[in-house]
Amino acid sequence: MKKQSVAMLLAGGVGTRLGILARKRAKPAIPFGGIYRIIDFTMSNVSRSGIEVVGVLTQYKPLSLMEHIDNGHPWDLFGRTRLVEILPPKTGEDISDWYKGTSDAVYQNLAFIDDFSPELVLIVSGDHIYHMDYRDLYDFHEEKRSDVTVGLIRVPIEQAHQFGTAICDRNMQVVNWEEKPAQPRSNLVSMGIYLFNKKLLDRTLHESARKNGVDFARHIIPLLQKKSRVFGYEFKGYWRDVGTIDAYWNANMDIIRPGSGLDLRNWGIKTNLWVKGEIGDRPAAYFNPGAVVKNSLVSRDCIIKGTVTNSILSPGVVIGRGSVVEDSVIFHDVVIGKNCVIKQAIVDKNVTFGDSIRIGEGELVPNRKTPEQLSGGISVIGKGTRIGSQITIGKSCIIGPDNVITSKKFKAIRSGTTI
Amino acid sequence: MNNVVAMVLAGGRVDELLALTEKRPKAALPVFATYRIIDFVLSNMMHSGLWNVGVLSQFRPYSLMRHIGTGAHWDFIGRQRGVRILPPYQGFKESDWYKGTADAVYQNLSYIDEFGPEHVLIAAGDHIYRMDYQQLMDFHIDRKADLTICFTRVKEKSSWFGYGIIDKNGSVKGYQEKPKEPRSAWASMTVYMFRKGFLADVLKDNTRASSHEFGRDIIPKVLSGSRVFGFEFTDFWAYARTIDSYYETNQILLRRAIDLKKWQIRTNTAEGCGGGDHMPAHIDGRVSNSVISEGCVVQGDVINSILSPGVLVGPGAVVTDSIVFHDSKIGPNSKLTKVICDKYCTVEKNVDIGNYGKSIASQEFGRLLNSGITVLGRGCRILPGTKIGANTVVYSSAKVDAAEIPAGSVLR
Repeated sequence: MKKQSVAMLLAGGVGTRLGILARKRAKPAIPFGGIYRIIDFTMSNVSRSGIEVVGVLTQYKPLSLMEHIDNGHPWDLFGRTRLVEILPPKTGEDISDWYKGTSDAVYQNLAFIDDFSPELVLIVSGDHIYHMDYRDLYDFHEEKRSDVTVGLIRVPIEQAHQFGTAICDRNMQVVNWEEKPAQPRSNLVSMGIYLFNKKLLDRTLHESARKNGVDFARHIIPLLQKKSRVFGYEFKGYWRDVGTIDAYWNANMDIIRPGSGLDLRNWGIKTNLWVKGEIGDRPAAYFNPGAVVKNSLVSRDCIIKGTVTNSILSPGVVIGRGSVVEDSVIFHDVVIGKNCVIKQAIVDKNVTFGDSIRIGEGELVPNRKTPEQLSGGISVIGKGTRIGSQITIGKSCIIGPDNVITSKKFKAIRSGTTI
Repeated sequence: MNNVVAMVLAGGRVDELLALTEKRPKAALPVFATYRIIDFVLSNMMHSGLWNVGVLSQFRPYSLMRHIGTGAHWDFIGRQRGVRILPPYQGFKESDWYKGTADAVYQNLSYIDEFGPEHVLIAAGDHIYRMDYQQLMDFHIDRKADLTICFTRVKEKSSWFGYGIIDKNGSVKGYQEKPKEPRSAWASMTVYMFRKGFLADVLKDNTRASSHEFGRDIIPKVLSGSRVFGFEFTDFWAYARTIDSYYETNQILLRRAIDLKKWQIRTNTAEGCGGGDHMPAHIDGRVSNSVISEGCVVQGDVINSILSPGVLVGPGAVVTDSIVFHDSKIGPNSKLTKVICDKYCTVEKNVDIGNYGKSIASQEFGRLLNSGITVLGRGCRILPGTKIGANTVVYSSAKVDAAEIPAGSVLR
């Protein structure tokens, strides 16, 4: 990095719209692509861009995240000048409280940033799937003599209302900013990436705190856009905010969808293979005679006796004889019995299935309780749930964690049901 | 076991494994897709609570050094624990290359002394087994032994082993090193528990001899006059002294005869992952009775085979009865039959290896290579359309551009 820089990684997200996947973990800690967690993408980007000091702001269920980040060694952020520090809310200072928003979290940790006397501070969100060299952003920032540069990406206009949208002039200076507008005037949306001149960041966060401003997108950027040089850097590559179950499922499928733009092999994403020995002690995957595998990702320690098509399997998944898994994302150590047919499912860790279970059959309706999370037909099974034999589960169903579903209680679970 | 220091014999050069050990000691040889052979002894030591381990190594130790790293993967990091590679060194008086296994330990007696142990465990780094050395220790203490040697019962009496004759009380009454006619079925596992004082004495005595091997020179000499016992190990044990036995040992994994997960064998998962971690295997082909590691991309067929991380199998390629090491590429429509392919090889398209022409034994290594296995050395490159017969060895980095290579050839 040309200028001394610190990155602050926002990893406190609750991920409400990801439902039960985020019930027991922060959104950045949700598994992705078999062996990764969502935060690995940002961590790898930061490390690859030559940034050596990273603060990770956590608040919601940080345990699996803290274990995963560990001392930063998986991303080469461990050394005399390289470090990752987990920054949870704390007490004992004038400004100390739960984090009330993204900018408040950074405000409460200005002292951490000051320790390194950086000229620039990069603020990035830990819950997006993308591959970016931030050095291009730094170059742009310098070239435009910008005070704040916001990472922007074009999305289909009908999705723009979910984001902060920027209206830029020809020079890419942000002339107007609308946070989640009902009628978007622009399809250039915020990636949750902000590069700040440190002095301005200090001043603005203090000022904003006095006015109860707590959020970069809602309070800080609109405030600054009127009086400082705020520029938009348009990123042209694959980027997904995996904010809903449907979006999460789709981004996973992009890994095995040719030409999707998500290219794990060449991006060189790093993860922590060590947590609880989850991968470290596992042998390579075994495929029985009779296994059929089409366009799927298979991790260590999987045992495949049946058929797997267009699916992503985390380590330790067992698929029994005669079973078919299709268009599904299966997390660690899920055991599937014999003669099951599982289509369009996301199955969280340690779920066990008996024999002859069918998932993804019946009519396509949105989930009745949370249609905004789940409408595309994907069914989600929560962590640790046990499902007996001979049970049929429809589309867009949500079965919460740690349930025991027996065929005595349930024979068929209709599409759109939540348990 | 804080009164025991462990020494792993990992250094020797072996020729019987041909191209596979051309550039690495046998202990560093990849096995079971994601492990190296030394992982077994290191994991055994870790699980037995042996926390100070010296690894004796002198033949091209880089791959071993990188693999062991800080020892963190086996939990050997901490104030009271550590694993150290012990290469030959120069001192004031005696200094030389290790002249044998016993000499290697002798030259590192001062390393052992730093820990002040009462006993020293010496174990070969090139065997595959799961053992709790605490049981060996209990036996050793119980018999007040000077030396306890571990033996395993072998079905086939080959001249590769040392054999012990053990009486009812476990006392070793006779020992034959690599005999033509073994008088016992109990073969030495090259796992020795020595009383430290006894070890120092016999090693000093041995310095005046002309040969310095535990099996050949030390054990036969100490049988009379010392308390030497045999510990009979009855669980699974495998080895890789020849290409055939290395191949057979790997087949165990496909027969699901051992449970590596239950054994909790640890390895260095980060090695060779500098540019990013290997993604899960991407499979879009026919796979049957095979083990496939992370980072592999399989678009063709893989049958009865073992693929290490990062192997690419192109469309239409057929890999049968083969073992392919890390990051090798098998091009479109190429066929591998009973091939052991070392790391970083490139087999280009339309190549046929192992099934071309009549199978005859290797001309140069007939005794070692006659069962139809073909060995491709590290980093070799086989150009498009090449046909190679069985029992052929291609040494590392060779470029094979002749169109037809008859069985039994040696290419350098």
